Amino acid sequence: MAICTVHTTPSLSMPNTHLNQRQVIFFTSARKNQFFRGQNRAFTVSCSADAKTVVIGLAADSGCGKSTFMRRLTSVFGGAAEPPKGGNPDSNTLISDTTTVICLDDYHSLDRTGRKEKGVTALDPKANDFDLMYEQVKALKEGKAVDKPIYNHVTGLLDPPEVIQPPKILVIEGLHPMFDERVRDLLDFSIYLDISNEVKFAWKIQRDMAERGHSLESIKASIEARKPDFDSFIDPQKKYADAVIEVLPTQLIPGDNEGKVLRVRLIQKEGLKHFSPVYLFDEGSTISWIPCGRKLTCSYPGIKFTYGPETYFSNEVSVLEMDGQFDRLDELIYVESHLSNLSSKFYGEVTQQMLKHSDFPGSNNGTGLFQTIIGLKIRDLYEQIVAERAAATAQAAKV
Amino acid sequence: MAASLSSMTTLSAPRPVRLLNISNPYSSPSHVRLLPCTASRYTRLVVRSTPSEIANKVSESIKNAEETCADDPKAGECVAAWDEVEELSAAASHARDKNKGKDPLEEYCKDNPETDECRTYED
Repeated sequence: MAICTVHTTPSLSMPNTHLNQRQVIFFTSARKNQFFRGQNRAFTVSCSADAKTVVIGLAADSGCGKSTFMRRLTSVFGGAAEPPKGGNPDSNTLISDTTTVICLDDYHSLDRTGRKEKGVTALDPKANDFDLMYEQVKALKEGKAVDKPIYNHVTGLLDPPEVIQPPKILVIEGLHPMFDERVRDLLDFSIYLDISNEVKFAWKIQRDMAERGHSLESIKASIEARKPDFDSFIDPQKKYADAVIEVLPTQLIPGDNEGKVLRVRLIQKEGLKHFSPVYLFDEGSTISWIPCGRKLTCSYPGIKFTYGPETYFSNEVSVLEMDGQFDRLDELIYVESHLSNLSSKFYGEVTQQMLKHSDFPGSNNGTGLFQTIIGLKIRDLYEQIVAERAAATAQAAKV
Repeated sequence: MAASLSSMTTLSAPRPVRLLNISNPYSSPSHVRLLPCTASRYTRLVVRSTPSEIANKVSESIKNAEETCADDPKAGECVAAWDEVEELSAAASHARDKNKGKDPLEEYCKDNPETDECRTYED
């Protein structure tokens, strides 16, 4: 896929210097030039064929696709993400104008019956084809279309492949985006969603209790049975992640086990080329902040922020933490105005994005806030990479 | 991935909704008393909209898992069975979310635009 940039040329008689690229020149009619009197409005569109895709990895437990994080992320870039039209209705892929989200479950080498026979879970690397994953992500990154298999979650079978065109931004979401070293090297940015056991249990109860057949014991047994595989294969990926969103039970309500109020920590790796961590007040210092007071009134249990440098698996990180819930719009905008390095394009962008999706789960606490902020950070990362490549191409053209 | 904390829909929709597939989640006597947060009256007004095909698969897989694990809880087959339950529960939850946005009247009118309920007036 080519990235095309539009330049205005002062006049048609002066040729553009990018000789090795295909150009299209548009000349607008005189009537439209009324706003630009005295200027010849000619636009040159030049496309460079070697622009590559930006690849983001997202590691999260069980299930893929229409998850809240993906919807928030694609919304930051504009447009809604839809399953591919006219294809397999059980496809796990989401496509929007700029982003394509691929579910890594599609790279299962064993389908449900195969796994049952061998006695392995989907979490086990034996059930996944990492060679194919690497090949296809590499091809998409280089701008080539691929035939990706489809894993049907309803039937548990591997369906015939679908064609995926290389997008501007490719998100690979699943259990093992950072497991294989080769795939890890292809990622421009990686995120790990670390949900603590208590919160996971509370969420799964909320999700499954209405399901006929499920009971508290069955939910508990399901979590317990998957835990060994999860701890040995999935959990270790968090040390490779550039950003970790850790969700823990709240510390504001003693003895709370309902999992409604959450303490969310955004762990951001320091020293990355295109990623500058979000901070509170003073970068690199340790801050503890309760915004509720004279200027802002909050209801129980309120909001508490902390920020500070830490070490996470022997990496230097900055951790921004939010405990509590937003009740009102002005709390959200107040908090946003005090955070720095958000990579937002205008004041209030984070609040606007959160309000746009106020029906999504987590919209009133740190999960929604940090997911939105990471979305803006990824947009910033994408723009930096594109600008860098354009500059490199211009340099190459001059030489 | 971030699962819904409040995925229960209520009957307080702005316009009359065709009720699909309501069943009492507490009909089975083997259900254990729930945690206080889910035992409130609010949750009894759930319109359970999991497509029956997936719902059946989920309950079958749970029965299967319980049987497999009765012999040896640590065996690979037992673990794989519970993983299957988890996968199907996730699929059921996604199907519910997909159906949440769908308006049954609009769905019906897509196929039957000439019926009385679906008449539109453009004056």
